[in-house]
Amino acid sequence: MSALLELASVTKYFGGLCAVSDVSLAIKKNAIFGLIGPNGAGKTTVFNLITGVYKTDKGTIRLGATDLLPLRPSAIARAGIARTFQNIRLFGQLSVLENLLVAGELTKKAGIFSAVMRSRHHHADEDLHLAEARSLLEVFELGDKADDASTSLSYGNQRKLEIARAMMLKPKVLLLDEPAAGMNYGEAEGLKKQIRWLRDTFDLTVVLVEHNMQVVMGVCDEIQVLDHGEPIAYGTPEQIRTDEKVLAAYLGDESLAMGQGTDVPAVELPVKDPNAPEAHS
Amino acid sequence: MDSAKQADESKKGHEKPRSAKDRFGGAIFVVGSLLVALVAEFLLPRLIEDSSVRNILMTICCNAVVALSLNVINGMAGQFSIGHAGFMALGAYTAALIVSAMHTSFGGGTLPPTSFDHDYLVAFGHSFAIVPVALLAGALVAALFGLLVGLPSLRLRGDYLAIVTLGFAEILRLSVATTRLGNDETVGEAVHAIGGPNGFFGPVFHVGSVFLSSLGGKKGYSGPDGAGVPLYAGPFWVIFITALVALVAWRLKFSGWGRALRALREDEIASEAVGVDPTRYKVTSFVISAFGGGLAGALYAIMRDGNPVVQPDSFTFQTSFDAITMVIIGGSGSVTGAILGAVFVTVTVKLIELVQHADVVQNLSSSLEAHGFSLDLNALRMMIYAGVIIALMVLRPEGVFGEREPFFKKRMRTREGAPA
Ligand SMILES: Nc1ncnc2c1ncn2[C@@H]1O[C@H](COP(=O)(O)OP(=O)(O)O)[C@@H](O)[C@H]1O
Ligand SMILES: [Mg+2]
Repeated sequence: MSALLELASVTKYFGGLCAVSDVSLAIKKNAIFGLIGPNGAGKTTVFNLITGVYKTDKGTIRLGATDLLPLRPSAIARAGIARTFQNIRLFGQLSVLENLLVAGELTKKAGIFSAVMRSRHHHADEDLHLAEARSLLEVFELGDKADDASTSLSYGNQRKLEIARAMMLKPKVLLLDEPAAGMNYGEAEGLKKQIRWLRDTFDLTVVLVEHNMQVVMGVCDEIQVLDHGEPIAYGTPEQIRTDEKVLAAYLGDESLAMGQGTDVPAVELPVKDPNAPEAHS
Repeated sequence: MDSAKQADESKKGHEKPRSAKDRFGGAIFVVGSLLVALVAEFLLPRLIEDSSVRNILMTICCNAVVALSLNVINGMAGQFSIGHAGFMALGAYTAALIVSAMHTSFGGGTLPPTSFDHDYLVAFGHSFAIVPVALLAGALVAALFGLLVGLPSLRLRGDYLAIVTLGFAEILRLSVATTRLGNDETVGEAVHAIGGPNGFFGPVFHVGSVFLSSLGGKKGYSGPDGAGVPLYAGPFWVIFITALVALVAWRLKFSGWGRALRALREDEIASEAVGVDPTRYKVTSFVISAFGGGLAGALYAIMRDGNPVVQPDSFTFQTSFDAITMVIIGGSGSVTGAILGAVFVTVTVKLIELVQHADVVQNLSSSLEAHGFSLDLNALRMMIYAGVIIALMVLRPEGVFGEREPFFKKRMRTREGAPA
């Protein structure tokens, strides 16, 4: 089966720094694909390239038969790619429910004139999106907080709200950037279930960037490891766990091993200082 | 998990019955304001005999349209436009020209005063043909220029819009104020630079400057025969149009479109990620805002008890700044706030004018002038605005109402509807 989301030799420079270097990914439909690596490895940049936030310097990115490179971010969202952000980006002044409804704009049929006339189409759109948004909030256990300010939510709930908002787009591919950051063991376990459930229920393909090995090793079918923008390993969780290059990249092997049992508390991988000077040759 | 089933069901059953308020609210509001406006048309001149007081009331309405329209781009979309006066000028001149032409074609003459006699009723009848055409044309011309100005400048992030709108408004004003035929060197030079009067652009320039110079320059445009622009828009039109604009502003805000705009203002990257195309939303809101600005200017130009001469000096940066003040004081993004801001600014301006023209002040002023000083109370207005804005910055940085609609408590929630 050919890949749904395909990156070929994707490269991105920031000035002299090569943040993503010749990365190729072939992500199959319905996969839960892990993208891991130490801080500053270029994972978020890969997401930003896929979603068009940054322009790719070299290589190609395709979703099915669609070439994503010439598309604007909003068109990429329309094409079926939704994402969450590592540093949460919610619409602060909007309520929890409204945050989801914004994502409904994409599929609405009524135009601005309809809205002013409050036509039947306008109401039909609004009611449909309202119902969809409410049931998504139920899924993420945020139903009772629908009218709260989105900034008043706990950290974990804000991350869940971001996922719910992304799901409102009815995406083909969901890109999750460190969704378990700031979650405790129980929440992370819940997240694992939710990711699998979303994949199964909505026929979704998930790309997961995550430091929490309890989550990564628990849900991913395949994992790609990046270090300094370069791909250093690819394989199943078992293969990655014992890969020497990966262990070396993470400066120690204990934390990876600890992710094996589900009853072990969540442990963050030792983290490289992203601000440390890069080794320039 | 059964939530998927739930989601499926909600798709099927989305045609919910709505409340009477939801269904007829808009219609009731429109009919209600029509009636109020009609009563005001005939009663206002009797209740308030002083035309300068009527002028204040009508000006408040026009300024409400100014503030409501600027609020779309400045408040809701969060893009800083500081040349709203430019769009008002476009609307004003367009409407004045059209009303003058139509008035001539209806026979010309002076407009009769309000009463129930035949002459007045005929003129009122004519206004139903003239006013909508003039207002719509003024608004459309402004919207067209809004598109031309907005399309290039809103594609870029940052403060380009502020610079471009300011430049646009000033260029427009100065073109009207300074273009003269015959001895005008600026136009002559330009014609030569582009290939002379016989080149391709020569005739275009010629026609352009003939048109611009027919607008009366700095003195202003005062109708075809110089007797003043016939002021067809009585209280009926001014009040009714203002009410309609308020309704549209309200519905825009509480629609998916308004929500997307607010989201865009909060976080552009996140809204792009959920499919909101920033350029499209910003340009649309700018064009809508320009449309409203043109409408306000048009209303202003043909408003009864108003100034029958359309002057470039009515559309200086001061006018744009007043508009911004209205939006900021009321609370950026709030429809109610914009109206409140319009009332505050209009009343302040008019009060100062009244004081300025009072005998005491006039005497003081002339005795000061004898000593080489001058007394311009207009400066007071800046002090008042500055005082109010500083006080707001300390006490309520988001404006009096912020983004809220204070008299409509539940509205900020998601169950939306029309006012009234
Ligand atoms: N907008 C940017 N401008 C300059 N450098 C950037 C930018 N975004 C990311 N980088 C750099 O690219 C590298 C990869 O960053 P990132 O993709 O955020 O890593 P990760 O998500 O794997 O922690 C880092 O060295 C980071 O400093
Ligand atoms: Mg990152």
